[in-house]
Amino acid sequence: MNEHIVRSYEDELNSLAAECVRMGGLTEAQVADAVSGVVKRNQELAASVVVRDDKLDEAERDIERKTIRLIALRQPVADDLRRAVAAMKVANNLERCGDLAKNIAKRTLVIIESDPLTPLTRSIERMGKLVLGRLSSVIDAYSRSDLERALAVWSQDDEVDEHYNSLFRELLTYMMGDPRTITACAHMLFVAKNLERIGDHATNIAEIVHYEITGAEMIGGRPKTDALKA
Amino acid sequence: MPASQLYATLIDALPDPILVVAGFERDDLTGRRYILANAAGRELLRITAEEGMLLSAVRDPDVLGAVDKALFDEVDAEGVYETTGAQTRSLRVRARWLGFGGDGARLALLTFHDETEVRRVERTRVDFLANASHELRTPLASLSGFIETLRGHAKDDPTAREKFLGIMQAQADRMARLIADLTSLSRIELDEHVPPRGVVDLGLLVGEVVEAAAPLGAQRRVKLDWRPCAAQSAFVRGERDQIVQVVQNLLDNAIKYSPDGAAVRIEMQSGINDLTAAASYEPMPRLSLVAPDPSGETYAVLRVTDLGPGIARQNLPRLSERFYRVDGQKTGARSGTGLGLAIVKHIMNRHRGGLVVASAEGEGSTFIAYFPMANVPAGVVKAS
Repeated sequence: MNEHIVRSYEDELNSLAAECVRMGGLTEAQVADAVSGVVKRNQELAASVVVRDDKLDEAERDIERKTIRLIALRQPVADDLRRAVAAMKVANNLERCGDLAKNIAKRTLVIIESDPLTPLTRSIERMGKLVLGRLSSVIDAYSRSDLERALAVWSQDDEVDEHYNSLFRELLTYMMGDPRTITACAHMLFVAKNLERIGDHATNIAEIVHYEITGAEMIGGRPKTDALKA
Repeated sequence: MPASQLYATLIDALPDPILVVAGFERDDLTGRRYILANAAGRELLRITAEEGMLLSAVRDPDVLGAVDKALFDEVDAEGVYETTGAQTRSLRVRARWLGFGGDGARLALLTFHDETEVRRVERTRVDFLANASHELRTPLASLSGFIETLRGHAKDDPTAREKFLGIMQAQADRMARLIADLTSLSRIELDEHVPPRGVVDLGLLVGEVVEAAAPLGAQRRVKLDWRPCAAQSAFVRGERDQIVQVVQNLLDNAIKYSPDGAAVRIEMQSGINDLTAAASYEPMPRLSLVAPDPSGETYAVLRVTDLGPGIARQNLPRLSERFYRVDGQKTGARSGTGLGLAIVKHIMNRHRGGLVVASAEGEGSTFIAYFPMANVPAGVVKAS
């Protein structure tokens, strides 16, 4: 088996998408572990998330390099161009999700030094599950070119916001009740914010999938309820 | 049946998910394909074809790592696979090197073993202990306080004695209710990953529950406005007793929070998809507490609307949390156990249905429960 592998153009595009999907799997695992780390107060898990972030950065660079190479050598147009660009943009968003997960893990290392905030970690867990569900749904949509699923993710952005607002109030109550919890609560607030932003990246990816498949941009604003008005 | 066909049927019928993976080169991602997936495997990974690109079926780095080890290092490897979505399942994955296939591809066997139950039972026990002890403490403290008073200075005061015994009775009832709800919840939870059996006509069932709730409504001077759906029948997959519990809990809540003389509206609709089912008519903040995995099924939906005080937006996400009661409802005439919606949520999750709440402060609330419809030939069920 020493023959030279000649890859067709189609193969190259497919493998680009496949690498994005693999990177998506990696990102999901990072987010899941980061949430699990903060909920279960698991230092080891949090530390491993911080270390593994390098892999995501590397994957993103790799996809970017390959996309640029493909565009330069094959000069794709129409559908193919959109596929190539989408791969790069998806990788970009995934890498941001990874950074946010890493940030959650870093904060976990601080949070576990203070006393547990049981009811709060439950809310974080619930929010984490929701965000992870969205992320995983949108990667599914990307990997299966499923427009309907992408649209479903896109249109349900407000649920994460509701969770975030609820958590915000809960945290305020805690901090007012017992100033000793302020350090942990402040970090918890950022954890929630990071989760919310991961949700936003999932929405971005949904938009990219829509663009990749239809060639048109999403029209109309997101169904957003005003977070600050609540 | 010839032997080869027997083997194929056998593998397809195995309860544990099984995949055979083929690959050529370590750096050839698209070249890694699953070339066989049994029925359980296809269901777990939500794939329809018996072969395809491995990454389109599974992208968990843990599993992919185990596959690579088996394929290219030719050693057995293990990993843990967790599904996301409404029902989280946790499975142990084993990858085993199989050798070379006819076309020179490297082959590995991937088996999944479900460990969800083990983990769930463990976790349920921890939660149950923490919550139950906390909730039982309050009525118990009140009971022992009154016993002390009755033994002490209220010993010879018949009026006070009667009053205290009345309070004690109420507290004991509350504890009994709590324990009944807790046991029911823990039983439902244990069965959450067992698909429900049976087929129920939702329209008929809701009608019966509404009728049975009429006396309670009359007692609280709340009118029940039942609007059956236009279609003749709406058969859903599910366990009758549990669905009754869902309808009852939603109805009880609506009656409980309705002001005097107001009406509770109960509507039904059938044969719609999940997005339509989860939509609310009113432009209110909306949150889904349980959402089924997208599957393209049709649903029968039940909407229960009350004109009560409504729920503030920031409290919506906590609604189905155990023992959570909206502020000011922990005591007084409207006190409940705080478990009603948690029970509903778990039942809906088990039935792979959905639960949505739409509510705004001062404008009332709507609870929407939707169940996947059963495909039964009309004649068969009519007869039963």
